Amino acid sequence: MLRSTLRHVNVAFAVLDELSDKRLLVVTGKGGVGKTTLAAALAVQSAREGLRTLVCEVNAKERISQLLGKPEVGPEVTALDENLWAVNVRPQEAMREYALMLLKFESIYSAVFENRVVRYFLRFIPSLQELVLLGKILFHLREKRPDGRWRFDRIIIDAPATGHAITFFSVPQVIVDTVPPGAMSEDATWMRDLLVDPRTTAVVLVSLPEDLPVNETIELHEALATRVKMKAQLVVLNGFIPERFTPEDMPESVPQALRDVARAHESRAQMSITSLARLKTLGLRVVTVPRIFVTDFGRSAVEQIAQIVGAPR
Amino acid sequence: MNPIREALASSDVVITVGSGGVGKTTVAAAIALRAAMEGQGSLVCTIDPARRLANALGLQALGNAETEITPATFAQAGLAPRAPMRAMMLDMKRTWDELIERRAPPDKREKILNNRFYQSLSSALAGSQEYVAMEKLWELRTQRDYPLIVLDTPPTAHALDFLDAPNRILDFLDNDASKWLLTPALAAGKFGLRLFNLGGSYVAKTIARFTGTETLQQLADFMLNISGMNEGFRERAHQTRGLLEAETTSFVLVTGPMPERLDEAIFFHTLLQQNKMRVAAIVVNRVHGPVPDALWEEVARLPSPLQRKYQETLKENDHLARQDARGIAKLREACGSTPLVLVPRFEFDVHDLKGLYETSHWLWGDQVLEVATPGR
Repeated sequence: MLRSTLRHVNVAFAVLDELSDKRLLVVTGKGGVGKTTLAAALAVQSAREGLRTLVCEVNAKERISQLLGKPEVGPEVTALDENLWAVNVRPQEAMREYALMLLKFESIYSAVFENRVVRYFLRFIPSLQELVLLGKILFHLREKRPDGRWRFDRIIIDAPATGHAITFFSVPQVIVDTVPPGAMSEDATWMRDLLVDPRTTAVVLVSLPEDLPVNETIELHEALATRVKMKAQLVVLNGFIPERFTPEDMPESVPQALRDVARAHESRAQMSITSLARLKTLGLRVVTVPRIFVTDFGRSAVEQIAQIVGAPR
Repeated sequence: MNPIREALASSDVVITVGSGGVGKTTVAAAIALRAAMEGQGSLVCTIDPARRLANALGLQALGNAETEITPATFAQAGLAPRAPMRAMMLDMKRTWDELIERRAPPDKREKILNNRFYQSLSSALAGSQEYVAMEKLWELRTQRDYPLIVLDTPPTAHALDFLDAPNRILDFLDNDASKWLLTPALAAGKFGLRLFNLGGSYVAKTIARFTGTETLQQLADFMLNISGMNEGFRERAHQTRGLLEAETTSFVLVTGPMPERLDEAIFFHTLLQQNKMRVAAIVVNRVHGPVPDALWEEVARLPSPLQRKYQETLKENDHLARQDARGIAKLREACGSTPLVLVPRFEFDVHDLKGLYETSHWLWGDQVLEVATPGR
């Protein structure tokens, strides 16, 4: 028991090492692997370390506020806890904010952007929606308080799943390549520069101990590096099942049906070990998070994971 | 009768929908495989950006072309289908190019293919894959003679776009704004849209600040060039929408039993029904079956050091089974008359034909999964 606790403490420090100096953490992976929970856990831990932290969901059915036992935050940056803010970035509001930033005056926004013809036009500008979503998030990364310090020390993005993540983070580059000079392409340029800067940004890949999610993690790592030039720093393997039964635990005297239960457990444990080994071939640190058994998956589960991904103070 | 078998008897298009990571692709491939086994030739088509289907079928790569799964591959898995099964992964860029080459007037083709808007629209950019997926579905449905097409769709957020794609094309063409922009230029037979005829107008200048003047010009050129394809698009969009609503098209909604997936599934179910789409079944994938009572009695008789390990494992299994049962009860309540089909969580990863066939037993109703009592 003590051994396993110590092991987690070691792991915890390792996580901090990988991510401690990064201002932008991008959490991504295959759908259903636990990205949102991990983003919430990283945010809780980051805030607890004293960093002003903003956690962003991207045009999703909002879940982080609920996981942390708070009311829905919606598209406005909302304080959840000490040092912790959350927002669910949505295209319509982000577009409005972006336009207002450029135009400065609300009346111009209404006159121009609420014009039917203009709206129609904007809808057909490819990826403008993704650009403003990303733009809003990255804008908060550059925002300062009156005393010159960052408004947010760290921003955590609960990013879209695999294929959509690649599309999403490629948008600035695509716009730089395709859209002629103008405000849009200027903004796309600084966004791209921030995303690919390894001093600022770290990608956290989330996976599960099964073949397909692991395959996808490996492909995603490759695609992010080559197509988007974003560097992953850490892999988190959720739902890890440790070994429990030795062959001696399964003697003939144990009824067949129970031995089947033990074998099933061991086969999943084996899958966890194989998955871990495969993920380690990426050359990144892999942190394992055990499967968590709670009736209502909420704050307490997030806190357990936060303990694993952060160092105790 | 089992709802999926029933759907296949009356459908030639089955569309699997649902959020990411629930095993949608596996279910799509398993349905296509089972159909082929039963003598209904099938094609499974995925538009998912990740190469899940290739993995699930044990194929190295899929292209825009339909690839028949060889008898040898089937034989390796110990299977002998009574009709051929094919698989394909949609190549967005290529489908777009084919579409333009086929439908654009000859003098416009190059202009369209070289337009930056077209290039970004047709390759990396979000939202456009849904347009071509519908186009491809229509092509496959009308130009090939597959008794069954199983179409796998991207995860929920995008699948909404997918359902909406034919409408968006229609909207694009029927929109008053587009008429207002295009008509004068078309009538005058010259380039340059009305927006720019406004010259230094306030509106044009303001948008240009946002996007750059050249961007607007290119967008205008693009729209002008594809405007010759309007009729074809319009007709196609109507037909595709019709195809989605047809009696012979069935939707299979796939979900996992965990709470966060269920909310999305319920939302999606409502949406499909509102859109008059026929939902044949909701497949709940990877369900943990109940722990049989007999096991608790047996574990109580084990010697103590062993008992603890076994008991802990049973408790975990029981926890998962009850959690799933609660989810299934919730789904049943929210989705009323749509039948649920439960597929158990397997002890192995489904990534080959054998695993797909095993999955199909549950989809097909050869085997039926019992659910735990929700309790606690």
